Amino acid sequence: MATEHIIKSYDEELRRLNNTITQMGGLGESQLAAAIEAVVKRDSELAARVVEGDARVDQLEREVDGLVVRLLALRQPMARDLREILAALRIASDLERICDYAANVAKRSIVLNQSPPVKPVYTLPRMVRLAQALTKDVLDAYVARDADKALVVWARDEELDEMYSSLFRELLTYMMEDPRNITACTHLLFMAKNVERIGDHATNIAETVYFLVNGTPLTQMRPKRDNSAETMIAPRSSGANEPT
Amino acid sequence: MAGAHRRPVEQRTEMIADPAIFGADLAPSTAAPPKIVIRNLHFFYKQFEALKGINLDLPDKSVTAFIGPSGCGKSTLLRVINRIYDLYPGQRATGDVLIDGRNVLDPGQDLNLLRAKVGMVFQKPTPFPMSIADNIAFGIRLYEQLPASEMEDRIEQALRRAALWDEVKDKLKQSGLSLSGGQQQRLCIARAIAVEPEILLLDEPASALDPISTQRIEELISELKTDYCIVIVTHNMQQAARSSDYTAFMYLGELIEVDETETIFTKPRVGRTEDYITGRFG
Repeated sequence: MATEHIIKSYDEELRRLNNTITQMGGLGESQLAAAIEAVVKRDSELAARVVEGDARVDQLEREVDGLVVRLLALRQPMARDLREILAALRIASDLERICDYAANVAKRSIVLNQSPPVKPVYTLPRMVRLAQALTKDVLDAYVARDADKALVVWARDEELDEMYSSLFRELLTYMMEDPRNITACTHLLFMAKNVERIGDHATNIAETVYFLVNGTPLTQMRPKRDNSAETMIAPRSSGANEPT
Repeated sequence: MAGAHRRPVEQRTEMIADPAIFGADLAPSTAAPPKIVIRNLHFFYKQFEALKGINLDLPDKSVTAFIGPSGCGKSTLLRVINRIYDLYPGQRATGDVLIDGRNVLDPGQDLNLLRAKVGMVFQKPTPFPMSIADNIAFGIRLYEQLPASEMEDRIEQALRRAALWDEVKDKLKQSGLSLSGGQQQRLCIARAIAVEPEILLLDEPASALDPISTQRIEELISELKTDYCIVIVTHNMQQAARSSDYTAFMYLGELIEVDETETIFTKPRVGRTEDYITGRFG
């Protein structure tokens, strides 16, 4: 916000909106960090705290909604003000989803902790760390109103897609090797999918930042590497799992 | 307006930097030739230069809004189009204002004919102190002699077009001054369109009206634009955004930016325009 409005309370409301988004972003980052820690350390108590913490994010999203409705109704915003307000509304909704996914990951880690660890548990935190970095970078891009930085995040989601596809194959293999892995691996599969979705929401935020700064939507196609939808792993021809 | 006629953004941005072609090439690009072409227009109130070389094309059958802070010259520009400033001593214009290719600033221009072609409605409703029907008939009688029945038809037609007929059809003999402010303003619009002009100049037509009357006037503008070239001066930015196809932003006697209204209010190219429309001016 370069120059100030003639009406000071308008600036005040825009600043509050901006601060609430930043606060939501901060909370989102810490929720994600705690979720990884809970998975890695098999800490069910911490996981439970992440699940509980989600309510605070929901509350902040409602605050953003209220502020946006108020600004739209009272200020009839135009041009960059309108983009600021629309961007805040969209980013709040993406952040709320990101936090939901973090809470889901934490919730499933509590179930995972009830069975012995399976190997892919160690791949998942790498995915979460990348998702966390993307979220942090895109929020920095929002705070700095830096469209170029947002574009970097937008392109990097591809890495997350790739990690997800490879984890997907790995989990299928583990499940085929030993049916006792199925419960843990299925939970891990959902967790990985949640983390992959976090990356998608981070790219949504990147697109919003681009629109906020430039006033035009980002129309390029985003590179995608999630090919899990086409992945098929054939069972071994002479394995125990083969139907007779 | 068809997107195919728009120039590429880069080309248009360059034009801002070139004052020689500034206005002319920034003007709304339309397939049809513009109804009004303004070139190098300067206007003086005695020594004070109120318009400093305006270049602008105004397309037919669409609404163009002039916006800008008080004293920017938007009302002056409107007043030049039908030469109403001629009524005041010490005011003069130089340059060209071409309507259908004819320069109306020519000293030989018949002002009565010009004003029949270019109707004007002012900020405050100005009904004549006579009946509603006579308010409409007055202008028609200046230019045409019609039999009574035909005159009645014309009055009805004008009142219908101005969305006032249903409210006044049973009291056409009552004084125009007996109507409410919003009705009086629509009566003035009916009076202006009764002489079948080609251009309608509206100088803050709704600024003295309540919100409902304002909406009626805006609705009327959107209906009338299918037949007229409408130019509106307004201080109400939302009104300009809602009712116009093109918007011209003026500041200190200069035309700063003109473009399709949607562009001006969502993504103006000039910082000063953005500062003004977002309420950051000063």
